[in-house]
Amino acid sequence: MALKESEAIVLRTYPLREADLLVTLFTRLEGKVRAVARSAKKSRRRFGGALEPLTFVRAYYEDRERQELARLDSCEVLESPLSSEVSYPRAIALGHVAELLDELLPEREANDAVFRLVVAVLARLRGTEVWMPITYFELWMTRLMGYLPELSECIACGRTLNGGRAFFHALADGLMCAADKRLASSEISAESRGLAAQMFRAPVESFAGAPWPKAQAADLRKFLLQTLQRHIEKKLVTAAMLEKIS
Amino acid sequence: MSKFAEPMVRLIDELKKLPGIGSKTAQRLAFHILRSSDDDAEALAAAVRDVKASLRLCTICNNITDVDLCVYCSSATRNQRLICVVEEPTNIAAIEKTKHFNGVYHVLHGSISPLHGVGPEQLRISNLIRRVEGGQVDEVILATNPTVEGEATATYLSGQLRRAGLKVTRIAMGIPVGSDIEYADEITMLKSIEGRREL
Ligand SMILES: [Zn+2]
Ligand SMILES: [Zn+2]
Repeated sequence: MALKESEAIVLRTYPLREADLLVTLFTRLEGKVRAVARSAKKSRRRFGGALEPLTFVRAYYEDRERQELARLDSCEVLESPLSSEVSYPRAIALGHVAELLDELLPEREANDAVFRLVVAVLARLRGTEVWMPITYFELWMTRLMGYLPELSECIACGRTLNGGRAFFHALADGLMCAADKRLASSEISAESRGLAAQMFRAPVESFAGAPWPKAQAADLRKFLLQTLQRHIEKKLVTAAMLEKIS
Repeated sequence: MSKFAEPMVRLIDELKKLPGIGSKTAQRLAFHILRSSDDDAEALAAAVRDVKASLRLCTICNNITDVDLCVYCSSATRNQRLICVVEEPTNIAAIEKTKHFNGVYHVLHGSISPLHGVGPEQLRISNLIRRVEGGQVDEVILATNPTVEGEATATYLSGQLRRAGLKVTRIAMGIPVGSDIEYADEITMLKSIEGRREL
């Protein structure tokens, strides 16, 4: 079969048999693809650092007859996460991006909007400043996957939330006004809702430079993660680790 | 119904748990064991039992050893003031091959791995901190793998160790990025130790 060529993001690898690696790639061409990299575990000459999670590569792979897994022929590194310092917070943030993509993307379904989002966010994910790119990524992923409810009106009564308080609950699909909020709801501030609206109008670069402490939009991220975890029906491993970063 | 007798199924199932062993290989190994002499089979079973009964972790460096302290920590000729930190016990062999490292080791038993939920608290870091806080150490060489996980671990450790006011170095990246130091040849490994830089 013919060799396919596509830009791709390496999501994760698993050891397979003695010497091979099973690689999950997010390709621009056809979305999430799982492929076998022969001898990649022992001889790193062929793939080098190209199979590190979140490496932006040009991948060459081919489908195999009657086989679910493609064969990864080679990878050319376009941008490596190792080209800037891997601080502890950055390592967790990178892992979070990889886990979200791996959990949320269906197999073999191209999604150029998500691909462009990842490339843009990875370019901002440097040093120890992780909260802005993570917030931007979670927000846009939730929207691009079709899981984001309307943030400006109450799901119970339909009234506008602009200018008023808004609440969310782990088991509810949207925001609620003060009158309709459930027991044990959390509040999402008007400021965070405003930030979300801004993030939908501007590229991630435009938020760089300004300080973004962990507390900023923490309520928004909590709401987004609850929404995402409800849809994938599992807890994200990296969400708990992000929470622990000081 | 299974096509094998129950004890055979049990052996195949146990063998399948080993890394790199699939169903076919497990069956092949199980039949090999079945055909081998009683003595050979007994020796294999005894070796498996003994390795668990007699091996433990060195209380100073976490290396796998049959005596506490391990050969490195109890050695009078090795420089106990120079510690090389590695991810796995198997990494020690790669560094010993160079024959140019005369310090001692510290084995973390893993690396920081967010996708697997492994943070610093899951690694054997606390006894490293205790080792250096005693003031008996001049330098710590971080020889974790040149991967995202190994780098994250090294960055984290250097932050913790520098607070204790000692020299912290990272092996040079003559080792290809993304690889495992276990597979590095001795020249590359030697160059990596010699070319280490201070963090
Ligand atoms: Zn309402
Ligand atoms: Zn020891």
